[in-house]
Amino acid sequence: MSLLPFLLLTGLGAIAVVALRARPRIATPVGVAILFLAVLAAALIRPSQSIAIGTSGIATTEYLRIFLLLAALATLLLAIVAEATEDRGDAPAVALGILATCGLALSLPDARVAVLAATAAGAFGALVTLVPDRGRTGATVGTRVLRATAVSGTMAIAAAAWIGRDLSELAAQPIVFGLAYLAFALAVAIRFGAIPAHRWAARLTDAVPETTLPLVTAIAPAALAIIALAWADASIAPLALDLTSVRFVVLAVAIASIFLASVAAFIQDDIEHIVGYAIVGDAGVVMLAVAALDPEAWAPARIWILAFVVARSAFAAWAAASRATFGTGRVTELRGWALRAPILGVVLGLVVVASIGLPGLAAAEARGQLITLVLDGPLAIVVMLGTLSPLLYYGRLFAVGLGRSAGLERVGWRPVLDRVDLTNLRVSLWNAWADNRNVTATAGAAVLAILALFVSAGAFGGPQAAAGLPPVVGGSSESFTPGESGPPAESDTPTVEPSAGAESPAPSSAEPPGLSPEPSFEPPPTASPS
Amino acid sequence: MNPILAAVALVVVAGTVVAVAARPPRVAILGLAIVLIGSPVLADPLPAPLGLASRFVGAILMAYLLWIAARDRGRVRGPSPLTGGSRIGWPAEALMAASAFVVGFAAHGLGAPALGSSLSSAAGFAVAALAVSATVTGVDVLRVGLGSLLLIDGALLVRVGLGGTPDQLEQLVTTATLIVVAAAIATLARAALADGAGAFDFSLEGRGSRRREPDAHPIEQQVGDVLR
Repeated sequence: MSLLPFLLLTGLGAIAVVALRARPRIATPVGVAILFLAVLAAALIRPSQSIAIGTSGIATTEYLRIFLLLAALATLLLAIVAEATEDRGDAPAVALGILATCGLALSLPDARVAVLAATAAGAFGALVTLVPDRGRTGATVGTRVLRATAVSGTMAIAAAAWIGRDLSELAAQPIVFGLAYLAFALAVAIRFGAIPAHRWAARLTDAVPETTLPLVTAIAPAALAIIALAWADASIAPLALDLTSVRFVVLAVAIASIFLASVAAFIQDDIEHIVGYAIVGDAGVVMLAVAALDPEAWAPARIWILAFVVARSAFAAWAAASRATFGTGRVTELRGWALRAPILGVVLGLVVVASIGLPGLAAAEARGQLITLVLDGPLAIVVMLGTLSPLLYYGRLFAVGLGRSAGLERVGWRPVLDRVDLTNLRVSLWNAWADNRNVTATAGAAVLAILALFVSAGAFGGPQAAAGLPPVVGGSSESFTPGESGPPAESDTPTVEPSAGAESPAPSSAEPPGLSPEPSFEPPPTASPS
Repeated sequence: MNPILAAVALVVVAGTVVAVAARPPRVAILGLAIVLIGSPVLADPLPAPLGLASRFVGAILMAYLLWIAARDRGRVRGPSPLTGGSRIGWPAEALMAASAFVVGFAAHGLGAPALGSSLSSAAGFAVAALAVSATVTGVDVLRVGLGSLLLIDGALLVRVGLGGTPDQLEQLVTTATLIVVAAAIATLARAALADGAGAFDFSLEGRGSRRREPDAHPIEQQVGDVLR
């Protein structure tokens, strides 16, 4: 089972880095090294493997591999940028914990169990608020994050449990399914900090550096969103119930997040807050996918989530590098930044293209598909324009960056390397690192921006993987059932065995165990995995 | 109805009342430990031994982590730190729990036949009802944290009532999740406790709402009152 090394590495790595936290000079390099190994471990995950544990199990998919690979790569680069900008040294521990729990959550076929792992990811995220000089304030903000996670987790657990059983004698079908769907959708909204549940996310932005924001408000919630999409497509969408009123609420949250987050980001004077609200705005598009309740939204939504995670990580890295380079995060004090540091200007340009997208890029196409699936008529056009509203705050940043003022000096972009003293290599390396912090941060942001552009364009097989099935225990599997040593135990989950390299365009038949709809609830015929 | 399960359900609800109403942190954590140990037993049939054992060990670990965070060893002076406790007193909390217990028992299945015990649903409703007030209105790290943990545990109890006894993998994932949440609470609580003399209180800017002044029933004489 190729997922186990990843889970063990990230889980035990998080514990190891926490154990070393009293010695930050060791803990940080160890954390970064383990994150690097996590990238390798994610790359080595093989799809369509499963392991049976008791009556259920965990399974891998190509999408799981790509999500974990990109998330691990993004967190590794963010950790390097954070260390270079002297923001945070202990963020790798949180990142490793989030990666471990996200990996587990996305490999569990049963939504009732997967939401638990996704909740654990949120709990890890609460710890990013604890920087050494923010004892009570950090604890307060962290507790708010934890509260949002607990409320969200409770709603998701209850929703998944409510309809995750035999409902053939259900008395009030639309009401029950509608409420369960609404609870799960709002749980996702709360975890993303979508408007109007954005208060905790705004407080978080006040308290933590930019480089840790994507961990809590993008990567960890993305796992819950993917679970929600799989759950809704398997349990709600096939029933073809009239849930218009409930979907309207979810749609309102999505549209409010898309528009108001851009407005909020535009009026903010601090790039940390701009990053925070930019994440909320893009999360609004994810909420559109949740509101779609249509298997057609499955692939575009998951393509968008991949692009969202990497593009917003790149934006956060750009913000951290800019703050470190110019010594301020206030937009009004960054006048001429693009002229002084053209590379940072190019990085932001790449981030803009990756997040807004150009026609033909996979992410932009996916976003367009989601809007046309959910809305039609003038409202669709309005929302389509709304998704371009981030151009407002990007434009403002560029306008400030291109503003000329007296005394502008270019910031050096070349690495500064003194002669290496072989008799004292450690000091030489340390000096080289200290002299090149800003260059390192800029380089990290640039790599992330390029990665974001590739992901947005559909590289790494993202669109193909996004169209694949959710995890299903079966196929190539091992058994951990006590007393068994042969073939895997049969799971409650309907087994679908995707052929290698060709996956179904619809999530279709991965129903939660125990859900046995009555005849009138027959799901539509699903596409063949071949 | 299984009388042993009924007794366990009552113990779990009583533990919840203690956890949300007590001000000394150790007492609140003791109440939480009772809830966490009793919750996995509230399933019919009982979970497999491995899953049950993991929940028991996890519950003890969670309580111990919180205990470490809450103890005031190393504090030089001052009173022992207290958590917020209940604003309406334990009798009111107990009555609220009893009401929610009845609601949960009566609403068992939530519209369709359930696979689990009605007592599990009832206890889940009671635990969640008490946890909501602690989570939403709490203004200190430990109270909100305990409320959050209880809220998740209440949802898990309702899940057991609806869907039946979880399998071993679900028990293991449940244990791991609860441990992570408890460890996060313990870390946050310790950070607050170590920062000055405010015990577990939120920082001033972190308080969502200001405490309402007693304007409805003024207790201080106003100048106008004296002259009148």
